[in-house]
Amino acid sequence: MNVFINGQQISVGSEPTVLLALQHFLSTDQQKQSFAVALNGNFVGKTDYQQTSLNQDDSIDVLFPIQGG
Amino acid sequence: MSDSINTTLNIYGQHVDSRLLIGSALYPSPEIMKQAILASESKIITLSLKRQNPAEQAGAKIWQYIQEIVEETQGFLLPNTAGCKTAKEAVTLAKMSREIFKTDWIKLEVIGDDYNLQPDPIELLNATEQLLEDGFKVLPYCTDDLVICQRLYDLGCQVIMPWASPIGTGKGLMNPYNLETIRLRLPQATLILDAGIGKPSDACLAMEMGYDAVLLNSAIALADNPVMMAKAFAQATVAGEQGYIAGVMQQRQTAHPSTPTLDTPFWHQQG
Repeated sequence: MNVFINGQQISVGSEPTVLLALQHFLSTDQQKQSFAVALNGNFVGKTDYQQTSLNQDDSIDVLFPIQGG
Repeated sequence: MSDSINTTLNIYGQHVDSRLLIGSALYPSPEIMKQAILASESKIITLSLKRQNPAEQAGAKIWQYIQEIVEETQGFLLPNTAGCKTAKEAVTLAKMSREIFKTDWIKLEVIGDDYNLQPDPIELLNATEQLLEDGFKVLPYCTDDLVICQRLYDLGCQVIMPWASPIGTGKGLMNPYNLETIRLRLPQATLILDAGIGKPSDACLAMEMGYDAVLLNSAIALADNPVMMAKAFAQATVAGEQGYIAGVMQQRQTAHPSTPTLDTPFWHQQG
């Protein structure tokens, strides 16, 4: 199954979850950093990563803190 | 009577002892950002969330600097929803920010026009309503439109942030009359002038009008010497606040001599 993370298409297994997709996409360093996730434009809390299943062509946004005005 | 008056800024019941809110973007380097923020004596720092590719580490470094500053100043983070164009996007980003930054404060930006980054008032009100219901303490960025400010206040915003002029222009207070009217008509609201401030005198003018605080980024970050400019803004903000509290004299239509005229030498003396 294919999903999109930050606009990049990746292949994840047949029964993917948000957690599996993140482990696939993020570097080991990034997994330790502060980040937050949205699935198809809706917020997904950290405690829900493991239970949240993905469907074909789902779109995940993984956002990190940056400077801002 | 005291020579100086120390008051605190009230953000939804949280008292903050600086009336200058500062952004963390556009500085020449992270180190200058840190020095400038410390020099500003600001206690509230704005920041944002963005996508980051796995290879990038710059964002992590900035975040580390900002955390150090907040710890050193015992300050507060104010995440924004920059880049959002709909209420749905802004609400989602606010929830993501709350999880990361552990704060229910949100600087709500919902942009309606790409050219001047003017807020979309309809989406802004919609997002504000949803976020307040969800327990957020919303600090909405809006134009200097009295009715929009009134609607935001009526929804439950205790803090409202009208613009001085479009973001990043440095044009200062475009419509002083509008801004003064908002101050007069919403005396209970915490008003923070946000965006478009270019010079320390702009900040001073806003504070002289009775605004509770100013929020700026570009004016400091893009100065030739950001650290010195940060100090200038800190002083200008305090000067404006104290000028407002001290009570500005009424303007008069005609000249009045400052020096007593009694016993003026050579008065009406004919040659």
